[in-house]
Amino acid sequence: MSDEKVYILPCSGIGKVFGSIGREAAYIVVDELAKDKTKLECLPLVVKGKKEIIETLKANKVIVIDGCPMRCSYNDITEAVGKVDAQFMSTDIVKERRDLKPEKQIIPMGENAKKLSLILAEKIASKVNELLEENRGGDE
Amino acid sequence: MSVKPKIGIIACSGENEIGGTLSRAAARIVVEKLRPDNTVILCQPLFMAGGLERHGGQEERDFAKTHPTITIEGCQEECAKIAVSNYSGPPAATIHVQEIMEKYPELQPESKRELGVAGMKLAKKIAEKIAQKVDELYNI
Ligand code: SF4
Ligand code: SF4
Repeated sequence: MSDEKVYILPCSGIGKVFGSIGREAAYIVVDELAKDKTKLECLPLVVKGKKEIIETLKANKVIVIDGCPMRCSYNDITEAVGKVDAQFMSTDIVKERRDLKPEKQIIPMGENAKKLSLILAEKIASKVNELLEENRGGDE
Repeated sequence: MSVKPKIGIIACSGENEIGGTLSRAAARIVVEKLRPDNTVILCQPLFMAGGLERHGGQEERDFAKTHPTITIEGCQEECAKIAVSNYSGPPAATIHVQEIMEKYPELQPESKRELGVAGMKLAKKIAEKIAQKVDELYNI
């Protein structure tokens, strides 16, 4: 299926920079690295219980990105949709790359935070390919 | 009562709409710059029903039950207002980003990822409107 998409749902964290890193990574994936393979959706729409979106997510692969251990996107999507196909946490990347201490500033993001977003985005994009591969394997 | 309670600012923060990005930026301007002493920011996805023992959103919901809240909506879906109303009670005020966007057609944001100079000016206008609401609520 050529119109097959992996849905990317970053948490809507706005309190700290970690939510912003996750969201920026999501934009890099959807706008650049896996442009035709992915689609973004508003997490709050799912929180609100919008039926069409929930049905679409049930029928497609879903990747969630969270900005802190509260894991809002993971928990909300699991609750509403009943599954998540892959999950990422921006704080894991921050721990992996201690040389890139993210700046606190959110608007605009600092240089290190941007670099961390790109590293996270690359991991997510490779997961997108894996999930689509899995789908193709399942179709055979 | 000598100390007035802080007002909770809940931006829908939707990732898939330009209005969501503006709501997020405006909320941060209010909480960081315009009314730092009178407001706090709350993450909208923490209002999701169920799974609170895993999820940890009870504190946010309780805060919103006992404090006035202002929701900021990126589009007509009104995700923040509905989530807050469902789980904590109706917000004291709701700001619709699109109404302010229509007032300033000359201020066009670059994209939902990067607001750019004009987009940030627009976010500031939205923030001023929110700050005005904060003052109104404080003067009641
Ligand atoms: S996971 Fe953390 S940063 Fe993201 S919306 Fe939830 S509380 Fe906020
Ligand atoms: S109100 Fe609109 S922009 Fe905001 S989260 Fe909901 S659907 Fe997205």
